[in-house]
Amino acid sequence: MTGVQFLFYAFAAMMVFCALMVITVRNPVRSALFLVLTFVSCSAIWLLMEAEFLAITLVLVYVGAVMVLFLFVVMMLDININRLKEGFVKYLPVGIGVAGLFGGMLTWLLYNVEAADLKTKMRTMYPPSAKPADYSNTEELGEVLYTVYVYPFEIAAVILLVAIVAAIALTFRRRTTTKYQNPDQQVSVKRDDRLRVVKMDSEEKK
Amino acid sequence: MLSNYLPVLIFLIVGGGIGAVMIIAGFVLAPHKPDSEKTSPYECGFEAFEDSRMKFDVRYYLVAILFILFDLEIAFLFPWAVVLDKIGYFGFWAMVIFLGILVVGFIYEWKKGALEWE
Amino acid sequence: MEFIAAYLPSAMMNDQTISQLPLALPEIVMLCMASIVLIVDLFLNDKTRGGTYILSQFTLLALVVITVMSFTQQKSIAFHGTFVRDGMGDLLKIFVYIVTFTVFLYSKSYLKARDMFKGEYYVLGLFAVLGMMVMISAQSFLTIYLGLELLSLCMYALVALQRDSIIASESAMKYFVLGAIASGMLLYGMSMIYGATGSLELATINAEVMKNTDNIVLIFGLVFVLVGVAFKLGAVPFHMWLPDVYQGSPTAVAIFIGSAPKIAAFAMTMRLLVDGLHGLHVQWQDMLIIMAVASLAIGNIVAIAQTNIKRMLAYSTISHVGFIMLGIMTAEKGGYTASMFYTIVYTLMALGAFGMIMYMSRMGFESDKLDDFRGLNQRSPWFAFIMLIFMFSMAGVPPFVGFWAKLSILKAVVAVDMTWLAVTAVVFSIIGAFYYLRIIKLMYFDTPQETSAIEGASDLRVMLSLNGIAILGLGLYPELIMGLVISVM
Repeated sequence: MTGVQFLFYAFAAMMVFCALMVITVRNPVRSALFLVLTFVSCSAIWLLMEAEFLAITLVLVYVGAVMVLFLFVVMMLDININRLKEGFVKYLPVGIGVAGLFGGMLTWLLYNVEAADLKTKMRTMYPPSAKPADYSNTEELGEVLYTVYVYPFEIAAVILLVAIVAAIALTFRRRTTTKYQNPDQQVSVKRDDRLRVVKMDSEEKK
Repeated sequence: MLSNYLPVLIFLIVGGGIGAVMIIAGFVLAPHKPDSEKTSPYECGFEAFEDSRMKFDVRYYLVAILFILFDLEIAFLFPWAVVLDKIGYFGFWAMVIFLGILVVGFIYEWKKGALEWE
Repeated sequence: MEFIAAYLPSAMMNDQTISQLPLALPEIVMLCMASIVLIVDLFLNDKTRGGTYILSQFTLLALVVITVMSFTQQKSIAFHGTFVRDGMGDLLKIFVYIVTFTVFLYSKSYLKARDMFKGEYYVLGLFAVLGMMVMISAQSFLTIYLGLELLSLCMYALVALQRDSIIASESAMKYFVLGAIASGMLLYGMSMIYGATGSLELATINAEVMKNTDNIVLIFGLVFVLVGVAFKLGAVPFHMWLPDVYQGSPTAVAIFIGSAPKIAAFAMTMRLLVDGLHGLHVQWQDMLIIMAVASLAIGNIVAIAQTNIKRMLAYSTISHVGFIMLGIMTAEKGGYTASMFYTIVYTLMALGAFGMIMYMSRMGFESDKLDDFRGLNQRSPWFAFIMLIFMFSMAGVPPFVGFWAKLSILKAVVAVDMTWLAVTAVVFSIIGAFYYLRIIKLMYFDTPQETSAIEGASDLRVMLSLNGIAILGLGLYPELIMGLVISVM
């Protein structure tokens, strides 16, 4: 086993372990923190595959932003943790049953193939050779992302736009009850808005 | 290429190791005599008044989600900036259209008042 | 890798991309118009909101014109193999526009009565149409997935648009969580197939698959891709979301989910299974048979027990999806043609049935119970007759167009020597006829629970009548659509 292989298995084991913890620990905050660790191990695996940019983006976007939002939600919100865990035991046998069935079928499928056949039947693409030290994955990605994959790239922008519209449409509510000052109006107020000079003839006291 | 990241790996191992050693050492060496008064939560010497969790204004999440969306947009800008001299005007305009689509979203959220706190 | 080297961008290839832009003219127009609608709506108030509606409808009509004008039988692949323009895609897109136009028209008064007449409904609707167009024109895994996500994201938001309704929020949650799982399955399957073939482009994948059809990794990937597809179509055993979403979402959104996206899902299935994985058809045929028979059985039998008509229509959808899958299952041109014909006909019938629910509803009254249709004949003989057309057509009674759709599928199934499958389908259709006929019985032979006149907007009345007459007319002249479908396949 080479060093890289060892690292791969170490990070993969950590990732599987953390993913399991995400769904089994009782405290949602811990669950979210384990998810952070899952992402970090995943990004380490991507790094081992020489996908530097994606690895760093995963940390930047998912760990840095998405998970912070997640933590924010689970820490602040009054979720009834006990109610969330209800039915875990009830559904556990079904879940294990489905997972066992699935795993059993996969094993059966793989073991039913003759060992000699396996090589031809599992024919997959071999990984590209290792890159030199001055190789930039970001550059490689950039060269195709904005030219070859320009059509999917623009669709990604549309998806982000829809996400903005959907987020605002679903959560934004203009409050009618809150009273607030509009500094713009306050500053641009004119003398005429506030003061009215009334001209009238002087009156005589009778 | 991976050898470039050897320092990062060493850093991870050393950093993780030191952190783990400190926690374990504290756990093993420190006196460990809990009683019910020590472990109970308190606020400034009083019993806790209420649960720290509460109903939270959804506007906080709206701001956070909008932040994430524009964060993702920024992620697309990095590789573009790196290869701008290679992809030429085509790549430049591709990004301009990408940003243009998102500016439409920005106009929407601005005009809608989603950025105002009231 | 040499294939990456072949793709290295050059000025010439970029020029090629620019010269291919006219092929994507409908998509570009749609994107621009949806953005314009989004911005224009910001400057309208509730009194002038009709402008958003008119602009959206104008966009859809303009797209019909553009696509008809540039209609092409010739298959051209563009943008480095991510986009395809062909006759099938063009025809399906035209129907997507028409169906969405009808959806917007039917739902106008429904939305107004429920304080939901907001610009977001139309903007999200238009972006959903854009997602469907991307899906229909997809020629690589990347665009199929992105189109699907664009469509789904809009749909999730539309279901939840009625924010104060608990049941709508609940069904949006269910839809979102299950949809996300299905997308994950689809992506996982795609990554497997990418691993085995080294390409995301459907044509290249098909060529690679042909070389080695019993590659386990490929079959493994196929299973997951099929799960994703079955979920989006709503086939048993991946149908659980459908009844809850149909029942929980506002009818104006349910009609949208139940119509146009089915056309896009059909296109996605065709692109994936036929354009991309035809080499594995022996494998996916078996899986489709199982899902089709299960859908026909569950859909038709469970529908009988429903008292909510939206839920009943959801189970009816499931059974119709079984028929659509049967056609694709044949892996023959005749079957694909029959399936495409069935999909288009089904969306027209679903439009009508949901349209009737919205026609009968009014402020504070959803009219989504079966009992609400009691004695409709006494209240409005004409619209009872229109509903009768929809129900007979869905049940597959001649001479309505639903009969021809079922017949063409059965013919295609018999043509590949699977008579037992055709017989099964017929048996379940006969069982299913029961619940369609029950509505007719309620309308004609029961006394109405209320006798007040139905107040429907005049444009809704006209369109609903046209829809009913279209089902009858197409039943008398099925060649009108069938001819079109055959010419593009």
